[in-house]
Amino acid sequence: MNRYWREARLWLVAIPVLLWTLLPIYHIFLFSISTKDSAFSGALWPDHPTLRNFGTVFRQEHFYLHHFWEQIWNSLWIAVAVGVLTLFIATCAAFAISRIKVRGGRTVMNAALFTYFIPAAFLAVPMYKAMGTYGLLNSRWSLVLAMVTLASPYAIWVLKQASDKLPWELDEAARIDGATPLQLFRLVYLPLMTPSLVAIGTYALLLAWNEYLYAFLLLSHENTIPLAVGLGHFLASDDSPWELLMASTMLFGVIWSADSPPEQ
Amino acid sequence: MATVHFREIVKNYGKTRVVHGISLDITDGEFVVLVGPSGCGKSTLLRMLAGLEDITGGTIAIDGRVVNDVDSKDRDIAMVFQSYALYPHMTVRANMGFSLRLRNEKRALIDQRVATAAKILNLEPFLARYPRELSGGQRQRVAMGRAIVRDPKVFLFDEPLSNLDAKLRVAMRTEIKALHQRLKTTTVYVTHDQIEAMTMADRIAVMNEGRIEQLGDPLELYDRPANLFVAQFIGSPAMNIFDGVARAGAVEALGARWPANGRATDGQRVRYGIRPEHLEPAASGIPAEVIVVEPMGAETEIVAKVGDAALTVMMRGRSSAGPGEGIFLAPQAAHAHLFDAASGQRL
Repeated sequence: MNRYWREARLWLVAIPVLLWTLLPIYHIFLFSISTKDSAFSGALWPDHPTLRNFGTVFRQEHFYLHHFWEQIWNSLWIAVAVGVLTLFIATCAAFAISRIKVRGGRTVMNAALFTYFIPAAFLAVPMYKAMGTYGLLNSRWSLVLAMVTLASPYAIWVLKQASDKLPWELDEAARIDGATPLQLFRLVYLPLMTPSLVAIGTYALLLAWNEYLYAFLLLSHENTIPLAVGLGHFLASDDSPWELLMASTMLFGVIWSADSPPEQ
Repeated sequence: MATVHFREIVKNYGKTRVVHGISLDITDGEFVVLVGPSGCGKSTLLRMLAGLEDITGGTIAIDGRVVNDVDSKDRDIAMVFQSYALYPHMTVRANMGFSLRLRNEKRALIDQRVATAAKILNLEPFLARYPRELSGGQRQRVAMGRAIVRDPKVFLFDEPLSNLDAKLRVAMRTEIKALHQRLKTTTVYVTHDQIEAMTMADRIAVMNEGRIEQLGDPLELYDRPANLFVAQFIGSPAMNIFDGVARAGAVEALGARWPANGRATDGQRVRYGIRPEHLEPAASGIPAEVIVVEPMGAETEIVAKVGDAALTVMMRGRSSAGPGEGIFLAPQAAHAHLFDAASGQRL
């Protein structure tokens, strides 16, 4: 009896959470398979479901979609670059702070973490100025650098905590075995940190993939903006093609959910 | 194969001095055990030899070469850690061959050396396994294998058996000793377990509070402890020690006269020490009251009350005495130890 109660309580929590999560997605899906006329009908299932919207998106057959593939490529390029760069910086920093115990390392980490007291939105204008000074505006690199700046402190902090948990004797054993710091990093540290690296890489990648504000600010050309900003353009007019927006959104979101590695 | 020389080694952590000028010479092929209670500086000394701790003062020389400023990897040493410190992401084979791989040795040579070490340590069936798939004793052997493969000048062991259960510890003790007799590599072994020290060492350095209290071969330490600390630390069950006053070639203590070797002056306050096995129940002697009898088969341990002290008596064979009964104890004068009450030094 007790078991049933516990199970029932679990379901009572799980069902609302599931609905809460899935309802918007279902809505997007509903829009994307509806014709323009029936999109706002309020029905739970369209009378004439159609995949034509996807075809329109794929073939870039709408004013707002002329750069769809280019923009999705931008999104991908930027996200991967941010993921890789953040990982590189954060891993090196965490190794230096946690394993080599560089003097002042902790201070640097705390200072980096301290930057989170300033909301990212406040930093947008200074960042814009800085990118302008270096002539990076409208280059994908500007967004990559901005996002790496925003993602790194957290990434360093998480990786530092994770590497603190590796037994110190491993470093000592490797040192006695003849490893240089670089060999220690490559042959012992990196393999043992893999789970954390995957997590942090994914975090940085998705952060960049979903970024709107900075992308909107730093990039303005149709062919440099990522898809997140491209989709925002749909809202520029009164009679937006919602069914196309939602079809594009499905594609935008689905890429990663289909691609995410299975939990270990 | 090498000698190791510690000269006036000092180590400070911040303002705290943990090693106070230790000098120790280890000859080629010798098995030296550093033993002492935790915090006595034995591990610190070993880690300084390994190059894992800076040396505050003094010099350490391996094979005549001062290594104070030499990197661990260039000291030609191998170390076995208490936690084994095996690389979890490498197989046993890769763990053992890692040091050679770092030296860019040829694949064939690495394989051959690993195979030889695996054979010595009976690790052949486990070469393809990962450390997490091994038992504690097997991991311990892999850690030793990793050390053997390097063929270093000096082996360092830092409490290597502490994580094993009692039975395995005894077995590994024998294995390490057999390994040393086979390889004859100079070995420095740190432990807090005096039985390990006694059974394995060529020479033991008993350490306390950053100093060597006594250095000598195991039986010398056992038979002629230089001071109270060594007397209490070496031997199990521990030596009986109590206060007394020297009087006419004997010691008056606990309301009785204890035979001694007469190295104290009359009226001198002393600490009298006698090991449990040198204190036997007899037909006459010092009267005592049995508190506890612990039969162990071949021997019987009796805790007996003399005056206000509880003394441990170890007798061969079995005892018919029960708790509360009166017995007589006969201390063997030749094995009595006298220490100065003030300095704790042997008289």
